[in-house]
Amino acid sequence: MLQKLENIEQEAMRALVNIQSEEELQKLSQQYLGKNGELTQVLKGLGQLEPDDRRNVGQMANKVKTSLSEQIDNKRISLSDSAPVLDFPPDLTAPGISPKSGGLHPITQMSYDLNDAFHSLGFVIFSEDEITSELFAFDNLNFPPDHPARETMDTFWIKGTEDKRGADRLCLRPHLTGASVRFLRKYGAPARFVYPGRVYRNESTDARHERAFFQYEALIVEKDFPFASGHLLIDTILEKIFGRKVNTRMRAGFFPFVEPGFEIDMECQVCGGDGCRVCKNVGWIEVMPGGTPHPNVLKEAGLDPEEWSGFYINIGLDRLVMMRYGVDDVRLFHSGDLRFLSQFR
Amino acid sequence: MKISLQWINDYVDLSDIAPEELAHELTMRTVEVEDIRYQELAYDKVVVGKIMEILPHPQADKLLITIVDVGEAEPYRIVCGGCNLYEGQRVVVALPGSYVRWHGQGEPVLIKKTKLRGEPSCGMICASEELELDELFPASREAEIMDLKDFDFPAGMPISEALQLNDVILEIDNKSLTNRPDLWGHYGIARELSVIFQRNLMPVADFVLDSSLEDNEHSLPVTIESPKRCSRYAGLVFSGLDSRPAPHWMRVRLAAAGITPHNALIDITNYVMMTTGCPTHGFDRRFVNKELIIREARKGETLELLDDTFLQLTAEDLVICDTSEPMALAGVKGGKKDSLHDDTTEMVLEVAVFDPLSIRHTAQRFNVRTEASTRYEKGIDTQRVDISIALACQLLVQLFPEAQLLGYQDAVATTTSQAKIDVSLAALSKSLGRKVDYKQVSTLLFALGFTVQRVDEDILNVVAPSWRSTGDVSLFCDIVEEVARIIGYENFDFIPPTVTLEKAIKQDGFDLERRVREYLAFRCDFREIFTYPWTADDLIAAAGVEAEIELAQPPAPDQSRLRPSLVPGLIGNVRGNLRFQDEIKVFEMAQIFLSGETSPSDPAEIFPVQKLNLAGAIAADEDQGLYIFREVKGLIAQLPDYAGSEQLTFQNISPPVWADKDVWLNIIGQGESIGSLGLLSSKVKNAVGIKRTQVAVFELDMTKLTPQPTRGHEYRPLPHYPLVEEDFAMIVEEKVTWEQVREIVEPMVKELTYVEEYRGSQIPAGKKSLLFHVLLGSDEGTLSSDQIAGKRGAIVKQLSKKLGAELRQ
Ligand SMILES: [Zn+2]
Repeated sequence: MLQKLENIEQEAMRALVNIQSEEELQKLSQQYLGKNGELTQVLKGLGQLEPDDRRNVGQMANKVKTSLSEQIDNKRISLSDSAPVLDFPPDLTAPGISPKSGGLHPITQMSYDLNDAFHSLGFVIFSEDEITSELFAFDNLNFPPDHPARETMDTFWIKGTEDKRGADRLCLRPHLTGASVRFLRKYGAPARFVYPGRVYRNESTDARHERAFFQYEALIVEKDFPFASGHLLIDTILEKIFGRKVNTRMRAGFFPFVEPGFEIDMECQVCGGDGCRVCKNVGWIEVMPGGTPHPNVLKEAGLDPEEWSGFYINIGLDRLVMMRYGVDDVRLFHSGDLRFLSQFR
Repeated sequence: MKISLQWINDYVDLSDIAPEELAHELTMRTVEVEDIRYQELAYDKVVVGKIMEILPHPQADKLLITIVDVGEAEPYRIVCGGCNLYEGQRVVVALPGSYVRWHGQGEPVLIKKTKLRGEPSCGMICASEELELDELFPASREAEIMDLKDFDFPAGMPISEALQLNDVILEIDNKSLTNRPDLWGHYGIARELSVIFQRNLMPVADFVLDSSLEDNEHSLPVTIESPKRCSRYAGLVFSGLDSRPAPHWMRVRLAAAGITPHNALIDITNYVMMTTGCPTHGFDRRFVNKELIIREARKGETLELLDDTFLQLTAEDLVICDTSEPMALAGVKGGKKDSLHDDTTEMVLEVAVFDPLSIRHTAQRFNVRTEASTRYEKGIDTQRVDISIALACQLLVQLFPEAQLLGYQDAVATTTSQAKIDVSLAALSKSLGRKVDYKQVSTLLFALGFTVQRVDEDILNVVAPSWRSTGDVSLFCDIVEEVARIIGYENFDFIPPTVTLEKAIKQDGFDLERRVREYLAFRCDFREIFTYPWTADDLIAAAGVEAEIELAQPPAPDQSRLRPSLVPGLIGNVRGNLRFQDEIKVFEMAQIFLSGETSPSDPAEIFPVQKLNLAGAIAADEDQGLYIFREVKGLIAQLPDYAGSEQLTFQNISPPVWADKDVWLNIIGQGESIGSLGLLSSKVKNAVGIKRTQVAVFELDMTKLTPQPTRGHEYRPLPHYPLVEEDFAMIVEEKVTWEQVREIVEPMVKELTYVEEYRGSQIPAGKKSLLFHVLLGSDEGTLSSDQIAGKRGAIVKQLSKKLGAELRQ
């Protein structure tokens, strides 16, 4: 009988090792410890044994039962801990699920990045309305009366005012610069401000030309501001857009509202300055005008040009964003085409 | 403008400096050089050949076989189709390895050894157009090859050397020249280079006008009747002239500068202009009747031009007249019969200065842009007439040894006054950000033609040269620029600006705009779009809005009106994007334009009303109408919490024109309607062709959103005792609204949440099942099941009593 118990225990232990699931474990438990289980049968049959045998066999049977129960419980915990969380083989190469895909327009994104950079330099943001007057678009900015940009083909004049002059002749702003006089009149100097926005020119469009496009202007007005300090504005903008230091150079350039005026070139980002087709082999690309505000502009802003100077730059945001991302058609920015816009996350 | 470096070298010797360096320095300091062109590169392996023998081609009537000496040991055998070949002729031969432009067209083609109709041919005898020399050697008929009969060049001589085609041409960006009238001739560029490289500048000409010839019997009386529009007019009478061609060097230079050579007389007038920048004009003396009058044209007068067209003149045009009639449009174009002719022997040379604006307007009105008008438009100083006369006389005498200046008259209405500027060295140093002294400044300015007088330690009296005094230089800052650019902008070290920190920047309005955009993009899953402010008429009509502000010259006839609302553009955008996807969420924040009168900035300006608006749209499947409407309502309701503005509510006050008559709400902020939302009506969708799609739209006035000065969150303590969740499904009449239910239930619960409305077969007609969810709880202790049942019962009872609602079983 003792031998039988030993056999039962060994047999049960062997079976336990191979068990893989809760169901099998349950079955095993039934088989040995259940109402009609093998071990239960042995215990039930104790009464028919001799008293001495009964004690020995009884002790042995109880020991086996305890041990087996313990082993089964341990096996149950181990089975539960190692249970897989999925009941099928997962394909981990299936793509991730995208978060919400809404987003800002790429121009807005860049504009906000620039705002943040200029904020950190103590600049405020300003904007004027899109309809302005010839007074602020040209007269105040030292544009001679016969400047070609005043001709009707370049500026969108508002119907009914196109034959008037000055403050009475209204247009969609052809550039942002007029806002500088508005700002300075309102807040005075010293001043550091940026005024991003959309401007309009009545031109024919193609992949490189748009009637509506974005500019970003920055202006510092301070006492005795040497133009060499203007590099701060240039570097801030280009570093923000291109993500690294971009070499630039200032060279002679003419714009009515600045004196001295500069053309600002940046090192060609395609060839790194070695010369290529994009930069017409010179290694530099013209990116923005800049300069010291012209005394006549400061006067219109109510400031004494003897006292105040500063630095101004104006970049075409569309063009730099195009360069940054390799966008090949400026018209996409106003297309509203979600297939284009959703690429900028 | 094209600048010939050989021409420049007449006035300043730069022959030891590489053209690349000249171009770079000019670009950095003066004007942008866009391109450098080496003429001789185009003529590599193109040489003078001498035809030794001409043989017939056995296979082709129109071809000949020529034996040509090209200066090598053996003559070349070349098949040629030229019609003017003869033995002993000097021709231009393109040897194998050279490039020619086939029939003067297309890209240059490489010349190789070949066979032409079976006969071997080594090289090509060229027509002038094939080497782009047709301006210098015009062909008189088809298939005429270039005949060098007038030249005695040895065979084999490179053609670039023989014909002096070894110049280097700088292409200058005209835009960068607009404010520098002095640079529209080679002499001006030469002056800049002489300053940059500190070289000597030669005078333009050393001819001295014999003043005894002034106003003599041969001269023509000159009268300036419009002194505002013509400040100086000199008329010089020459005899002993003919129509001989100009010497080769002059023709080559003019061609290089982009001017077609004609005959010596015309070429001289152009050569003077291309040197000094001052246009000159020649009249045939025979056709000038008695005198020269510069006056405004009379009504009805006409002018016949060289190209046989007639110009109708008005009083706005300035004309050069003789006693009887207008002969030329002053500074713009000469008339036909009074220009120089092949049989001209006596010439009246005009060297004059006209008012830039007057010239510009005339050129615009007749849509003629000439080399002369381009230069006059920039503003020319009266003093430049003197050097132009000297150069013209010198060239005439040089080219026509028999020529004689018979007499002249020089009428001066006004003289360009030279700008006088007081310059403080201290102020100059401050502006430049580096110390400059008297010696440096005066040397540099003197080289540029300024005179500098020292008043004291600090102050200099600076007088600008006349050629910089027609608008270009007049202020202290102009002197700053002159000094800075010649020192070279690249030579100034960056000086970090000093920062004064006063207080933190706070711009609530801009911050709110940005937070609203970011909320829509990042919380609500909308894409930001930009559309044009001019909106297509069909979209304006479809949306039913009134647009009253118009453009004088619209980008397209149907896009003349500026948007009074962002909705038409948004509808157009949704329609466009529906071609590629079914579900769309877009928004735009931009200005709109309404009739009205505002003066937000300068009281002199009266603008229409301009406001910043925000609008958005959701497009989805047809059965999603109410859902997307609720989405829009939800995002507007939550916008204040996320973006930080005063709360918004909804009311039905006045329906938006584009909305369905039942599905719309006005957005209420601070007690007034600031916008609306709704589903696009079927009419609008039909008008623009949106099918089987619901579009929920909102638009609001951004300027009416009041930014909160700080974040507006409110903290509520967490419940001390557990809350119990309970769901309700109440059957109510269709006319019962959620708002009525909410008013009753909300005070009775800790939290109330709308789940949905349900209509179906189990719900009686005219009724709907309203599902909502509540949290019940007490601040005194955990609710018992009896207490929960009691609260549930009370809710059902209240709804039943007040709204006739029944609990759905
Ligand atoms: Zn490049």
